[in-house]
Amino acid sequence: MNEVREKQSNYRPLSSKKALQKTMGRYYALTNYHRYWGKIFRRPLAWVTSGAPVELLRAFNIHSAYPEQYAAIYSARNATVALCEVSEAAGYSQDLCSYARSNIGGVLRPDLAPLGGMPKPNLLVACNNICGTVLKWYEVLARHFKVPLLVLDTPFLPHEFTAQAKAYVLEQLISMANDLEKITGCPFDEKKLAAEMKRSREITSLWIETRQYCQNSPSPLNAPDLFINMAPIVVLRGSKAGIEYYRKLRDEVKQRAALAQGAIEDERIRLVWDNIAIWPQLFSFYKMFSEKGACFITDTYSGGWAVEHAPGTPMESLAATYTEIFLNRSPKYRANQLIKLIEDYKANGFVMHSNRSCKPYSLVQEVIRKEVMRETGVPGLMIEADMADPRAYAEEPVRNRVQAFLETFL
Amino acid sequence: MPNHYIGVDIGSLTVKVVLIDDDLKIIGQGKERAGYSGRTIAQKLIAEVLAKSGLTTQNVGATVATGYGRVTFSADREVSEITCQAKGISHLFPSARTVIDIGGQDSKVIKLFPNGKVADFTMNDKCAAGTGRFLEVMASALEVDWQEISELVSASKKPTKISSFCTVFAESEIISQVSAGELKADILAGVCDSVASRVASMSRRTGLEPDIVFTGGVAHNDGVVKALAKQLDFSLLISQEPVITAALGAALIAREIKK
Repeated sequence: MNEVREKQSNYRPLSSKKALQKTMGRYYALTNYHRYWGKIFRRPLAWVTSGAPVELLRAFNIHSAYPEQYAAIYSARNATVALCEVSEAAGYSQDLCSYARSNIGGVLRPDLAPLGGMPKPNLLVACNNICGTVLKWYEVLARHFKVPLLVLDTPFLPHEFTAQAKAYVLEQLISMANDLEKITGCPFDEKKLAAEMKRSREITSLWIETRQYCQNSPSPLNAPDLFINMAPIVVLRGSKAGIEYYRKLRDEVKQRAALAQGAIEDERIRLVWDNIAIWPQLFSFYKMFSEKGACFITDTYSGGWAVEHAPGTPMESLAATYTEIFLNRSPKYRANQLIKLIEDYKANGFVMHSNRSCKPYSLVQEVIRKEVMRETGVPGLMIEADMADPRAYAEEPVRNRVQAFLETFL
Repeated sequence: MPNHYIGVDIGSLTVKVVLIDDDLKIIGQGKERAGYSGRTIAQKLIAEVLAKSGLTTQNVGATVATGYGRVTFSADREVSEITCQAKGISHLFPSARTVIDIGGQDSKVIKLFPNGKVADFTMNDKCAAGTGRFLEVMASALEVDWQEISELVSASKKPTKISSFCTVFAESEIISQVSAGELKADILAGVCDSVASRVASMSRRTGLEPDIVFTGGVAHNDGVVKALAKQLDFSLLISQEPVITAALGAALIAREIKK
C-alpha cells in the first residue's frame, strides 16, 4: 500500500512516509525470508484474513501474513490482471473476489507476483466476519499447501450481539487456542494474550486519535493518506514497531491540524468515503476530487481498524471485538455509522465505491445511500469499480459521474 | 458585441451545437454524427451555425462544452452532461422533477430539486443495453433505417420478447427470431420494450417524481416513448428537439459564466 507513488502536485506529502516505508519494508523482508528464521525462532507463519483475531496468534508467537494486503500491493504494482488470468484459467470465476483470484494466481505462478509472491504458510486462519468468500478461498489454500486451516465463524449480527452468539464465538476461540497449542507446541498463556491485546489497544488508540484530527478544517489527511497509512495497523497490530510508527504519524498529523495545514490545497468540499480503496487507480482517482478542492476526510474502510476493544476477559473481548465489526452488521447499523461520520467530520457529501469484488461491503450500499441522504440531506455518489482488478474500472463513465457530483456543490 | 453563447455537446454518436442570445432565445442549432473526430465536427457546426445567423466568433461571449468529447474541446468551461441536461430541461420545463435521458451509449435518470439543480442521478454502467446504440445495432440487424423504427413499431400487434441484456447476444436473439418467421414490426417492438424496461428499472431505482421529461436522441423514437410511458405508468414530457437539451443547458451555463 505504501508502494504507490504520490503523483499529485496539489498534495502535501507526509514526512512520516520514510518511517512508513522503513517499517513496512522491514515487515516484508521478515515475512518473505521467514523460511530462514521461522524454524530457528519456533515462529510458524500463518496466512490470515484481515479480520482474524491476530492477538491470539501473536500470543503463540505466530507470525502473520495477509493475502488481502499482498493482493493490494499486487494491484498497486499492476500485477493483478496477470495473476487473475492465471486463476481464471485454473477455473476460478471472474465473479469471485479479485483479492482471492490474484492471491491464488500468485500461489500458482509466484514468478508473476510482486515480492516473489507470499512465503509458504505453516497454517491458515480465516474469520468470516468480513465475508463468506474467505472460507472457500482458504479451503483452496489448505488443500494446496496441505496445512491446517482454523476457522472462526462469527454469526452475522442483524441486531445486537446476543449471549448465545457470544458463547458460540467464545467456545470457538477456546478451541482455536487448543488447536494452536498443538500446532505450535506452545502452551496458551492468558497473560501473554492480555499483553498482546494491550499493545493492540495502544496502536488502535493512536490510529483513532490520528483520524480524529481530520475533524479539523482543513483536514490534515485525505483518503489516499488513510489508505497508505493503514498498512501497519493491519499487519503490525500489537507490535512495538507499529506503535512507534503510529506515534510518529499522530505527532505529524496533530501538528498539521494545529497549523491548519490541509492535506490538499484549498479544501472546499469535505467527503466521506465508503468501501475499500480503488488500489490500481489510487492517485488518479482521488486526484479527480483533490484538484476540485474535494478532500476525503474520513472513511469506513481504514476506519474498520479504529475500533476500541470490547470489555471483558481477553477471550471475551476478542470474541466481541471481532464479531461486532461493521461488515458483520445490519444495513441500519452501517447507515448510522456513516451518518455519524458525516456529522462528526462536518462532511458535505459522501462517495460509495460499489466494489465488484466485495459483495458484503457493496450489495447493501444503495439502501444505505438513500437512508443517509434522507437523514443528513447531503448528496451521496455511487461509483462502480473494483478494489484490485482494473478491468472493472471504466475511466470515462467514472470521470463523468465524479464531475457531475462535484458540480452539485457549486 | 459578444452577447451570444454557445453550448456544444460532443456525444458518443452525435455532436450538437446550440447558439443562444442574451435573452436566452435559441437562435441557431446544428447536429451531426460525431464520426472519428467529434471535435472537428463541433468546430465545423459552430462555424455553420454562426454563419447562418450572420454572426462571427467576435459575437460569442462564452462557450461551454459537454458530452464525452468535452475534454478534448477547448471551451471556456467543460461541464458534465448531467448538470447541462438538468439546466436545459429545467429551462424548458420548469416543473420537471425527473429527467430520463437516453443517449448514444448511456442512459441516465436525474432527479431535480424544485430550483432545477441536480438532487441525485443514476447512470448505466459498463453496458450499452438500454441506450441508443443498442437500438441502432438491432435496427441494423433488421435492415431498418433508424427513422423508420417508430412507424414500423406502431404496426406491431404482438411484440416479441428480447430477454438478453447484452447487445451482442440480443442481436443473435433477433436473428433467431427472424429465422423463426417473426414479423419485423413485432421484433422491433420487442427491441423498444427491452430498452424501455432497462431504463424503467433504473428510473424506479432512482425514484420517480412528476413531471418527468424524456430526452436524448431516443426520445424521437415513438416506440420507446410509448413502451417507457406504459412501463412507468407516467406520462412523459418531450421537448420538440430532445437531442439538443444538453447543448442548450451548456449554452445557458455559458451565459451564466459571462454574467
